[in-house]
Amino acid sequence: MKSYRWIFIVLALLAGIGIGLAYGWIIDPVDFFDLTPDTLRGDYKSDYVLMVAEAYRVERDPGLAARRLGIFGTQSPATIAASGLAYARANGFSDSDIALMQELVTAMQAWSGIQ
Amino acid sequence: MRRIPWDLLLTLLAGLGLGLGYSWVISPARVTDAEPLALRTDFKDHYRSAIAAAYSATGNLPRAQARLSLLGDADPVEALNAQAQRMLGSGQSLEQADQVAALASALEQGITVEFTSTPVVQSVNTVVITATPPLDPSAVPSEITETPQPIETQATINAATPRPTRTPVPTVGAPFTLTGQESVCDPNLPDGLLQVIVFDSRRRQLAGAKIMITWDGGEEEFFTGLKPELGNGYADFIMEPDISYTVQLGAGSDIASGLTTSTCQISGRETFPGGIKLTFQQP
Repeated sequence: MKSYRWIFIVLALLAGIGIGLAYGWIIDPVDFFDLTPDTLRGDYKSDYVLMVAEAYRVERDPGLAARRLGIFGTQSPATIAASGLAYARANGFSDSDIALMQELVTAMQAWSGIQ
Repeated sequence: MRRIPWDLLLTLLAGLGLGLGYSWVISPARVTDAEPLALRTDFKDHYRSAIAAAYSATGNLPRAQARLSLLGDADPVEALNAQAQRMLGSGQSLEQADQVAALASALEQGITVEFTSTPVVQSVNTVVITATPPLDPSAVPSEITETPQPIETQATINAATPRPTRTPVPTVGAPFTLTGQESVCDPNLPDGLLQVIVFDSRRRQLAGAKIMITWDGGEEEFFTGLKPELGNGYADFIMEPDISYTVQLGAGSDIASGLTTSTCQISGRETFPGGIKLTFQQP
């Protein structure tokens, strides 16, 4: 009878841990502030790439566009732009937006090549 | 009557505490789907700069507004103005600071700069959102038609050139014309307040303009933009009674001379020294 009791106690402990983890990770995870741009959701990242592409279309300054994309961290600007483009293609961005982003990707690939 | 299994309940609570401690403190869930609202302040500045650059290129104000709303600023105009001042103060590109200030100005005035010859602005933002939509599709115009703006000359329509060209950023040293001079009798303002507001050729308030004020036996320089809450092109100076002042903005600009405090009287109050409001603009 005593050994059964210990099994119940261990099961209660495990259940408590499981409930706590589920609550802390899924139901009410920690709210974060002061985050870096690489943590942004995919659609926000893609929209940021679109902003850079819109500006690049007029400014024609690949260095400036690369610096703007550089806030996403260690990936190359061409890779960041390509990721944004891939998201845009997969999620139904308009053709003109995709064309702008494609232009930016091409420019960033060329810019990376001469760096 | 059955006994309450306190030992099991306490063990369950202990496990719950351990689980919460691990998930909230030791190993919180990794953030992979953050919103711009949660970005660090300096990254929010980058985000605003990108929004302003995109607006400068496309003139799509509703889209810029939708994007700015993602940052959760209580007052986006004030946030943009303050950022423009920080950018100027830290020696960043004048052109990028101007883009940020221009967006603030456009938001204040509700200007939508149109580029009908540019295919970019005819696009519809179709970001597909799985959770909360960051951009309200209804807030983004599906098509923008040409609407001439009387005070925004950046929107030049050139049928032969498919892309809009940027209007050069005005230099601070370019000559200014005195376009307005009026006495101000406002008991809520400091006595003898000389207000100077400087506009560039696009009727946008110009920060960083040097103003020289001279009087018999003295002179001083001050700059616009140090009080962004009152406007990027705003500057002021307290005049002493019975002294005549002369104000000029750079060589070749108009000179406002004989500026003195006026005598004001509001009903039921004693007289007090009034101020003057000068408006300068680049032609």
